[in-house]
Amino acid sequence: MMILTVRTVISAVRSPYPYGEELVWQFLFVLRLSWFPLIVSTFALNFGAPGLQAAGILSLFGALDRLGGFFVVIAIRWVGPLVTAVVVAGVAGTAITADLGARKIREELDALQVLGVDPVKNLVVPRFLALMVVTALLDIFAIVTGLSAGIAAELLYHQPLGGFFATLFTNATITDLWSSVLMCTMFGAIVAVVCSYKGMSASGGAAGVGRAVNQAVVIALVAVFFFQFVVSSVIFATNPELQAVR
Amino acid sequence: MNAWLEVPRGWLDSFGEIGRFGVRVAGLIYSGRVFKFFGESLRQAGILIFGSALIIWAFVFILGLQCGLQGAYFNRSIGAPSLSGLFSAYCDLREGLPYAFGYILSAKVGTGIVAELGAMRISDEIDALEVMGIQPMTFLCATRLLGAWIALPFLYLVGIGLIYSASYLSVVQQVGDVSSGGYLLIFWMYQSPPDLIFSLIKGMVMATVIVLVGCYYGYTASGGPVGVGTATAKSMVFNIVAVHILGMLGTLIFWGSNPRAPIGG
Repeated sequence: MMILTVRTVISAVRSPYPYGEELVWQFLFVLRLSWFPLIVSTFALNFGAPGLQAAGILSLFGALDRLGGFFVVIAIRWVGPLVTAVVVAGVAGTAITADLGARKIREELDALQVLGVDPVKNLVVPRFLALMVVTALLDIFAIVTGLSAGIAAELLYHQPLGGFFATLFTNATITDLWSSVLMCTMFGAIVAVVCSYKGMSASGGAAGVGRAVNQAVVIALVAVFFFQFVVSSVIFATNPELQAVR
Repeated sequence: MNAWLEVPRGWLDSFGEIGRFGVRVAGLIYSGRVFKFFGESLRQAGILIFGSALIIWAFVFILGLQCGLQGAYFNRSIGAPSLSGLFSAYCDLREGLPYAFGYILSAKVGTGIVAELGAMRISDEIDALEVMGIQPMTFLCATRLLGAWIALPFLYLVGIGLIYSASYLSVVQQVGDVSSGGYLLIFWMYQSPPDLIFSLIKGMVMATVIVLVGCYYGYTASGGPVGVGTATAKSMVFNIVAVHILGMLGTLIFWGSNPRAPIGG
């Protein structure tokens, strides 16, 4: 997988660039498949977990306006990138593995190589770049949907929204936003490489493609979760302004 | 424009069929017909334990680390680091564990079932079972659901222990704003046995839905090796959204009207 990563990055930057059309097509494909699951998932997760649980306990304190500050942590730093990665891995990653695996089983990849077309450059690189960009863009949508779920929780407890927005904007920093988006770009890269690798190394007929999808999505999820833990540890430790009392 | 609405429309199409399929499989268990193949159910439970337990626990452990980390820094930023235990208790037991369990089950077990049953369907093994006089739905789907019901509650309970120790590690050992005793005091104060039962119910409902969706997509796969791959991908999409919606409904039902916190009257 590391070899595939290096080969993908190298052939992405080295000319010629024959993958433009495929890149646009993959971009639209991923976006078309993911937008609906993403919006439903982020809304449900943000409404249930941080929205209702935190609003329940904050209403006991009579401090429901603090929910905005809490949503910075949950929606922007954590759940936004996480759910985006899970949805992209589950929706686009599985589709990529199934697609490439089917081509491998039908020996189309070998045929491409015989024709002198590099499968890494023409199949993996556009998926890699498209997933990186789409995951970062979807993260913005995840954050917006997450915050609207917070607003819904606030309205459920019959609170004015002024306090929510006030604590939201005093607690949110630019670091939160760019780290979230940057994290998502890396998640997209991880998902694309793992899923392409598993698809291109599928073997063993119909059962093999299914098994490849299964392994790809498990590896991608575990890698993404572990990577997020490491990255958020580093970001918290190196950016003290995230820990200031406001 | 139509292509953008493909996913929601596909769900509307298949939702009723999945529901009917699930009710039929559950009916096979309640009518006791599955106990003809009780040995097969035990074998499926064993496959779940030996094949998936480690990966489920590793995943849950990582989410516990993350819960503790975010909680510790959030509580530092509001100036109450000693209350990290509150965040961990809520995040671990009530929300984090069911979601982590749902994600990894849909990735490992759900797609695994689709791949296995789909391959059987493509190579006509399911028809062969029918010819041999064995009801394929009982033998393949009902036994898997029963096996999941046998094995998964125990995996879930062990997962609770792991996610607790992971949060403890990251709050007390990694960030270190709060002493071990202070953390554990708040941590245990903010949970009670009913919370454990509710969390377990949430996780098991998710598991049931995931196994049924996996069985449905595998059982109805068609179209050669490509079809199996597509069915696996589709089941994953459906499962992810189902996990989130069930998680939200569980929170609304169990903790929506009563946060069950030891504050006030």
